[in-house]
Amino acid sequence: MRRFGRGGSLRHTRLQLVLAVAAIGAAVALPVVLISVGGGVAAHELANLENAGYQIVVSASGLHGISGAHALSDRILALPSVTAASPVLSIAIDAVSPHGKLSPVLAEGVVPTEFTPTLGPTENGLFPQPLPLGDPTDTVHYANGTYRGPATYDVLLSTPYADAYGITVGDRILLSPSTNTSLGTEYNVTGVFGVPPTVLGPTGAFAVLLPLSDLQVMTGFAGGPSATVTDAADTVQVAVTGSVADNPAALGAVRAEVQGIVPYYSVTSLNQEAQQLQSASGVLTGFYLALSSVGLTVGLLFLALVLLRRVESNRRSIGIRRALGIPGRTIAVGIAAEGLGLAVAGALAGLVGGFVLVESLARWASAAVQEAAALAVFDPIILAELVAGVAGLSLLASALATRSALRLDITEALR
Amino acid sequence: MSGGTSPVVELLRASRTYLGGSAEEVRALRDIDLRLAPGEFVSVEGPSGCGKTTLLNLIGLLDSPTSGDVRWDGRPVGTLSDRERARLRLTGVGFIFQRFYLLPTLTARENVELPMRALGVDRAERTRRASALLAEVGLSGRERAFPHQLSGGEEQRVAVARALSNRPGVLLADEPTGELDSGNTRAILDLIERVRATRNATLLVVTHNPEVAARARRHLTMRDGGIVSDVVGA
Repeated sequence: MRRFGRGGSLRHTRLQLVLAVAAIGAAVALPVVLISVGGGVAAHELANLENAGYQIVVSASGLHGISGAHALSDRILALPSVTAASPVLSIAIDAVSPHGKLSPVLAEGVVPTEFTPTLGPTENGLFPQPLPLGDPTDTVHYANGTYRGPATYDVLLSTPYADAYGITVGDRILLSPSTNTSLGTEYNVTGVFGVPPTVLGPTGAFAVLLPLSDLQVMTGFAGGPSATVTDAADTVQVAVTGSVADNPAALGAVRAEVQGIVPYYSVTSLNQEAQQLQSASGVLTGFYLALSSVGLTVGLLFLALVLLRRVESNRRSIGIRRALGIPGRTIAVGIAAEGLGLAVAGALAGLVGGFVLVESLARWASAAVQEAAALAVFDPIILAELVAGVAGLSLLASALATRSALRLDITEALR
Repeated sequence: MSGGTSPVVELLRASRTYLGGSAEEVRALRDIDLRLAPGEFVSVEGPSGCGKTTLLNLIGLLDSPTSGDVRWDGRPVGTLSDRERARLRLTGVGFIFQRFYLLPTLTARENVELPMRALGVDRAERTRRASALLAEVGLSGRERAFPHQLSGGEEQRVAVARALSNRPGVLLADEPTGELDSGNTRAILDLIERVRATRNATLLVVTHNPEVAARARRHLTMRDGGIVSDVVGA
């Protein structure tokens, strides 16, 4: 910083410069963390959507709101281009291990032969193939809506749950719709499955997978006088052929056909969801930037004050330059260059600080934050834009100091 | 006053008024008429507060008259923009201040190069000319010294070299020996006089020092903001 003279204490001057850099660094670190972590989580969820084994989801509002799930799935499956229609019912139930330990678990009722094709590449490796559940089409027990066929009472357990309670394949566990275990039924453990990592949704680490009709009967969602919904499911996940999946227009047409079957349910394609997620991510990025602008404004105001203070403490040097005929533009460029240098130094410090903070969160924060921080994406273009924005705003911050320098009375400055 | 040649600088009924502390007007200069010819060596004497420095500031375009006119080569400077005035200071005037006013963060050579740099002289030429000027003022080998590493006499030599760097037609010196001992005073006066003579520059020196005034050919005496005597002597 040789633009101005050694006005005042050198140490004091250095402290001002360091503080200005630190203020801008802190202001930049915040958006770096927010944008990189937020963007990373959104990108991860987007990738999950893009890698899902199904492309269309039928869902209904309310508790387990799709009725006639078996029949509906069959009708959807009959559509050309549809390769699988998998009804899924998810309910929290209670499980009692062979050693008598009670634990809540997330139960998913599925039609095994329809469920498997809707698994994405990541999930596919987590489940045994084919699913070792008797009655793979879930038609024997369901028996055309009578639920009078023989049930196999097979269940798969998630690895975290099986490991936590020391349950192995071949054991028998009790599944009950409530803690009143007298309502429960014994199931054969026929396999285990892994749990995919998730960030935004529930982890579902303690989970069981069983035939849809078994879960419907156990929880009262099969039918009968006490049932609120008959043959209930939460969603029907629909897989289409590869050529349709890759063609948004064709996928939209299939979605419309499904919607035609169930005009009263919500039918969305995953590419719509992806677009919504991208829009939401864009809105969040804007929100992060707006939030960060408060810090940036404070940082740049501090920079403006430091530059103004530097002009004040270097009045004589500036006066000498102007007396010698150095053009005002040259002096203004000097001040702007100093502001720019400080702002860029601060912005780079902020980038490094933000990166270190995210890395620290990924290592030492609580589990959910750790997971999110580990997904952070440092987009060089966004970060470069951030630095460029700060650099541009620094010119604004130097305007006050420049004005002060150019309005300086030379004869007074030289007194 | 100098005779037939066209003046380099001309003041026509120039006055400068300031607002004092209690908002009363202080007339620092009153209706000054002055013509400076090329190559003249003029001393300005007078008691403190008589307006010597204000006169220098008006001639050097550091300040503007509140009434009257200042002309450079016949051109009224009141019509010039700030940028044009700065340009004229850069190319036409060399300032030598009592307190030297070197920039403390620049070396001797960088201080001398400063006006050339603003004028866009290329780096090699700047360095060559700055080194030559420093040699001319007797500071060979001190190019890289910072002002705080120089004696008062050396600092003023650097200031003289800086004043000459853009080959100005007018040199303005405000008490150039005011902070120097007698040995350095003599040396600086010899130097200023020599460079003035070799470059045929107009030199206006504000001084309290009779030794300095004695070297000038024309002597202005000021009192209460006016020129009370203007004598051309041997």
